[in-house]
Amino acid sequence: MMLKSELNRFDSESRRAFMLRTAKTALGVTMLPVSSKLAQAAAEGRGGGKAKHVIYLYMAGGMSHIDTFDPKTGETKGAKDPIKTNAEGMMLGGYMEQMAKQANKIAIIRSMTSKTGVHDQGNYLMHTGYEPRGTIVHPTMGAWASHFLGRATKSLPDSVSINGGAANGAGFFPPALSPIPISNPETGLQNIQPTTSESLFKKRIDLMNEFDAGFRKKFQSSEVKAYTEFYDETLNLMKSEDLKAFDLKAEDQATRAKYGMNSFGQGCLLARRLVEHGVRFIEVQTGGWDMHNYIDEAMGRTGGSMDIAFAALLEDLQSKGLLESTLVVLGSEFGRTPNINENEGRDHYPKVFSAVMAGGGIKGGYVYGASDKDGREVADKQATPQDFLSTIGYAMGLPVDEVVMSPSNRPFTVGDKGSAITELFA
Amino acid sequence: MKPSKALKIGLGCLALATASSFAQEAATATSRMWTDSKGRQVKATFVGLDGDKISLQTDAGQIFTFALTNLSAEDQTLAKTLKPAAAYVAVNATVGQAAAAIDKLVAEGLAVGAAKVAKDNAATTDPKQQRVVPKANKLMSDEQFVRRVYLDIVGRIPSHDESKAFLDSASKTKRAELIDKLLDSPGYASHTYNYFAEMLRVKSRLEQDNMRGDPYIGWLQKQIEANTPWDKMVYEMVTADGKMWHNGAAGYLLRDIGMPLDNLANTLAVFLGTDVACAQCHDHPFADWTQHQFYEMAAFFGATTTDLRTAANRKKGKDQMAVVDVRDKLMPEIEKMIESAGMDIRRERNGIQNYIGANRYVISDMESNTLKLPHDYKYKDAKPGDPVAPKLITWSKSDASNPAYKTSKTKKEEKLRETFASWMTHPENPRFAMSIANRMWKRAFGVAVNEPVTNIDDPEKSYNPALLKHLAAEMKRVKFDLKAFMRIVYNTQSYQREATNEEVPMGEPYYFQGPLLRRMTAEQAWDSYMTLVLGDPDKYKQPLEDLYSRSIDLDLTNPKLDAKTVLMKYGAFRGIAAKERALEGGGLEMAGEEMMANKGGKKAAADDTMMENKSLSYGGMVLRRAAEIEQPARSGHFLTEFGQSQRLVIDGGNKVGSVPQVLMMMNGKAQEMLTNKESLIFRTMDKVNSPADKVEAVFLSILSRKPSLGEKDIAKRGMEAAGGDGFSNLIWALINTREFMFVQ
Repeated sequence: MMLKSELNRFDSESRRAFMLRTAKTALGVTMLPVSSKLAQAAAEGRGGGKAKHVIYLYMAGGMSHIDTFDPKTGETKGAKDPIKTNAEGMMLGGYMEQMAKQANKIAIIRSMTSKTGVHDQGNYLMHTGYEPRGTIVHPTMGAWASHFLGRATKSLPDSVSINGGAANGAGFFPPALSPIPISNPETGLQNIQPTTSESLFKKRIDLMNEFDAGFRKKFQSSEVKAYTEFYDETLNLMKSEDLKAFDLKAEDQATRAKYGMNSFGQGCLLARRLVEHGVRFIEVQTGGWDMHNYIDEAMGRTGGSMDIAFAALLEDLQSKGLLESTLVVLGSEFGRTPNINENEGRDHYPKVFSAVMAGGGIKGGYVYGASDKDGREVADKQATPQDFLSTIGYAMGLPVDEVVMSPSNRPFTVGDKGSAITELFA
Repeated sequence: MKPSKALKIGLGCLALATASSFAQEAATATSRMWTDSKGRQVKATFVGLDGDKISLQTDAGQIFTFALTNLSAEDQTLAKTLKPAAAYVAVNATVGQAAAAIDKLVAEGLAVGAAKVAKDNAATTDPKQQRVVPKANKLMSDEQFVRRVYLDIVGRIPSHDESKAFLDSASKTKRAELIDKLLDSPGYASHTYNYFAEMLRVKSRLEQDNMRGDPYIGWLQKQIEANTPWDKMVYEMVTADGKMWHNGAAGYLLRDIGMPLDNLANTLAVFLGTDVACAQCHDHPFADWTQHQFYEMAAFFGATTTDLRTAANRKKGKDQMAVVDVRDKLMPEIEKMIESAGMDIRRERNGIQNYIGANRYVISDMESNTLKLPHDYKYKDAKPGDPVAPKLITWSKSDASNPAYKTSKTKKEEKLRETFASWMTHPENPRFAMSIANRMWKRAFGVAVNEPVTNIDDPEKSYNPALLKHLAAEMKRVKFDLKAFMRIVYNTQSYQREATNEEVPMGEPYYFQGPLLRRMTAEQAWDSYMTLVLGDPDKYKQPLEDLYSRSIDLDLTNPKLDAKTVLMKYGAFRGIAAKERALEGGGLEMAGEEMMANKGGKKAAADDTMMENKSLSYGGMVLRRAAEIEQPARSGHFLTEFGQSQRLVIDGGNKVGSVPQVLMMMNGKAQEMLTNKESLIFRTMDKVNSPADKVEAVFLSILSRKPSLGEKDIAKRGMEAAGGDGFSNLIWALINTREFMFVQ
C-alpha cells in the first residue's frame, strides 16, 4: 500500500502524529479514555507517574515461586523452611535471608499466570506483553517509555540492558530506541575507550573528516548526515562526564562487596549508578533459574546471589533517596512445578508464579493476590504479564491505554491492554 | 501452448481488464482487438514477429507466442507492418538485448516523471515548491563500478588486487566480464544466501531444545550455489516432508513450529507480495482480504503437522511409534547405563530426554484437513470453530481464467500443500514472478519498482508499471534463473549509473535515475572487513556442517533403536561445540596465502590448518563470512551492532547508525585488527616501497580507488606528523569515512 512506503520516510515525530491520525480516522478508533480505575486512583492522589526510573531484574529460566516469594509449608515445601520478615505477616522462602530484612519495601504479586511454559515465548511475553509473532516485533518497556517521553538525558542512553536482554528491544519503533547492551558490568560500555592516546585519536578523527569531505559534499542525504551526527554524538559521549556512570571502580570495595561479587550483583550496582546519572530504564538479567534438577543446590547459588543483590539495591536506593523515584521490579517467564520431580528439581510452571515490585510509589510490605495452599493455582486476584507490564507503564506515567500504530499499520498498546494494578500503589 | 487456447485465455483476461481505469488508459494507446482465423477476438498489444511466430501481450501482461497463420488474413497483413513493442525481448535474446529493453522502459518512466515534475513546477510560483526535474544520472566510472558490483554481487568490497586488476584491464567488455566472473564465484552464493536468510528469517538456533537451523541453512546455500530455479526452490520448501536433517527444505515450515498461521502470512508476503497479516486476526482494514479468506488459504496446510506425536496419535499406532513411547521404553535402560558409568542420572536425565525429543519434529501430512475458524471469529459468514475448506485467493477477477488456477486439483487432502505450491509457483501466478523480480530489482537499485516489496497491492500504482510487468515477464522468460535475471539487470545502463545524490521527496515515486545511495548491510560491512583481513574470505567455511545432522538423528519409528545407540549419539552430539572450538584457533598471521609463501617456515603449518578446515579468530571473533557463522550473531557482535536482522520478521535488518556501532568502528576489535601491523593490509603495503605507493595501496584496499592529489597531500602531512603510527591512522581514518560505509 502507498501508506506504508510513505510512512517509512517519516521522521519519528511526524510518524507518530501520522499514526495517531491514522488510528483515529482510518481505523475508526480514537484515543481510548483513561479507564475508570486509573482515573479513580489518580483522583485519590494514589498511583502512577512517580517512577522516573525503572530497574527490571529479570530471572531468566523460570524462578521457583515456592522457594522465593510464595513459600509453602505443605507437601510442596522446598528444602528450606519459610522465614519471617520485617513486614508483618509476610513470609519468604528460606533462601531470602537478606530480602527478609527489606520486605517492608516490597509488594509481591503472588497470582501471576500465563499460558506458555516455553522459555523464549515466556521471556518475550514478560518483556513486551505480546506473544511472539512471525510478522511483527513488539517493543520492550524502555522503548515504549522513550517513544512517549522522549530522551531522558543529553548524552546517556535511555535504556540499558545488563547481562543480556531481549533481542531487538525497540520492536517496531526506530532502532535508536533499543537498549544499549552491557555484556559485562565490570567493563562497562563496550568499546568506549580509544585504542590509542587521546592526541592520536584526535589526529585520526581530523584525518577522517578531511578524507571524507568530498563524499559528504556530494551526497548530502539525510542518511549520510545522520551518520555524521552519530559520530558527533559518540565523540561527545566519549568525552562526557556522565561516562562515570558506567565505571564500577568509582565505588568503594565495601559497597561492591555488599551487592555480591558476581555479574548479577555488580549489574545491580551498575543499575543504581545509571539511575543516579539519569538513565531511565535498566534491565539486569541473571540466568541459572532453570532448575530441573537439584533445586536446593541451585537455589543456594542463584537464589542466594539474587537475594543479596536485590536487598542491597533496595537498601542502597533508599539511603540515597532514590527509591521514591525508582521502581524496582523482579520478574521471570514462569514459576516452577510445586512438586519436586525425580531429579530433585522443579519443572516449568506458568499456571501460577510470583513477581515483585518496590519503590516508585509502590506500597511496602504488601501482598497482592494469592496462590492456593500448595502453590498450584491462582486463588485470588489473577494477574497476567500484560497487567504486570501495564503496571510498570502506569508507574512511569505512560499512557497505557493509548493505541499506537506500527509502521505496518497495526494497533498496539503498552502491555497489550492489560490492567494496571493500582492497589499496589501507596 | 496452442494459439487457440492462448486466445481464449486472453479473451478471459480481457473481459475483466476494466478493473483499473489507469490500466485501461495505458493499454488503449497500444492495444487493439485481434481476430483469429476462427473469428475469435482478443484485445492485446503487438510485441513482435519472429519468423512465422507472432507474440501478443494481453492487457493483463501475459505474452503469448503462436503461429502467425492462426490469425485472420487481415491481421496477418497488419502484423507484418507493425513495429515491435519497445520492451519485447525474444525468448533467446542476448543479455545486451534484454538489458536494452529494460533501459528503454526506465527511460520512458523517467520521461513521464520529468514531465510530471515540470508540470507541477509550472503550476506554482512558490520557489520552495520547485523540484529538480529528474534526469538520468551520469554513467559511473570504473572505480565506482568495481566497488559497487563487488558489493552488490559478492557482498564485499574488492580486494586491493581485484580492484587493481579491473582498473588496469584494457578490455572493452571488462564490465560484462567482471559481472560474469562474480556471478560464478562463491561470493555470489554467500551474499545471495544472506539476502534470502534475512527474507526467510533463517536462524542457526530454533526455539525448541536442540533444534538447529544448520541443515536448512546448508540446503539453502547449496540451492543458491547450484542456481536452482526460484520456482523449484520455493516449491520444495513449501512441500517438504520429514526431518530437517534429512531434507533441509523442511526447515521452511519447521522454522515456525507451533505458528503455522504466521508462517502462512509470511509465505504470502514473501513469495507473492501480498500482505495479509492483518487478516490473520480480523478482516483487513484497508485492503479487501477477509479473515475467512486467510483461513481458506491456511486450510491448504490444515492437514500438515510438524510433530510426530500429532501424526502418530492421528494414525493410531500404525507403523508410527510415538516419541513418548520410545522414551519410556528406553529410559530405564539408559538410566542404568548412566549410573553404571558412575554418573548421576538426575543431572543427565533432562538433557537426554530433550535430545531424544528433538526427533519428534517431523513434517508429515495427515489424511484430512482439520483447520477450524478461531474461537473468536466474529463475522456473519461463518461461526467460530467451523471447519474451513481450502480456497485460493485471487487479486483480480480475471485471475479466474489464469492458468495457475487450473493446476490439477486433488481430492486427497494429503496433497493439499502440493496443490497450493503448484499454484503459487506457477509461472502465470499473478504475483509470483512479479514478486521475486521486484525484489531482485531492489537488490540492485536499493529501491523496488513497487514498494513495499511485501505488498504489491496494485501493480498499476507502482513507480513504473510497464517496467514492473516487463521484469515479471523477464523472470518468466529466464525460467526463474535468478543469476540470469541479475546478469541482465547488472548489464543495464540504468544500473551502471552513478548513485542518486539528492533526496527523493517524501511520498514521490522514484524514477530510477540510477541506483540509490545506500549504507552497506551489516553483512556487507562484516564481509568487507573479512576481505581486508583475509584477502579471500570465501576460503573459510563453517566446518562440521553435517556433524549436527548425523549426531542428532534418531529413528524413533524404529522398534530396534537401543539405549546404547542413543547414548553414543548423545555423546557425539554433546561433543559438537568442543570440536567447533578446536577448529577456530588460528591467528591473524595465517591470513593470505601468498603472504605466507614469503614467510618460509610458517607456510607448512598454515597449509596443514587449511586442510583441517581451520578458521582464524581475533579477539573472540571467528573470522569467517557472515553466512558461515552463527546467525543472527550474538548481542554485541559487529554484525548485531550494524543492524543484522534478528531474523524475527521479514527483511528485518536495518541500516541506521547508533552510538554502539560508531564506538565499534572507532574503538572496537575489528578496527584494531585492521590497524594491527600483522594485518593483510599492512602486508600489502610491504610489497611496495615508496610512501606514495603505500598510500595508494591503502586507498585501493579500502575505498577501491586511487587517492586524489589533494588526498595524497593530506596523507603525506598526516604521515609526517604521526611518525610510526602514520599508516594505522590512515587505515583507521578511511575505514571510518562515510565513503567506506555507503555504496555509491
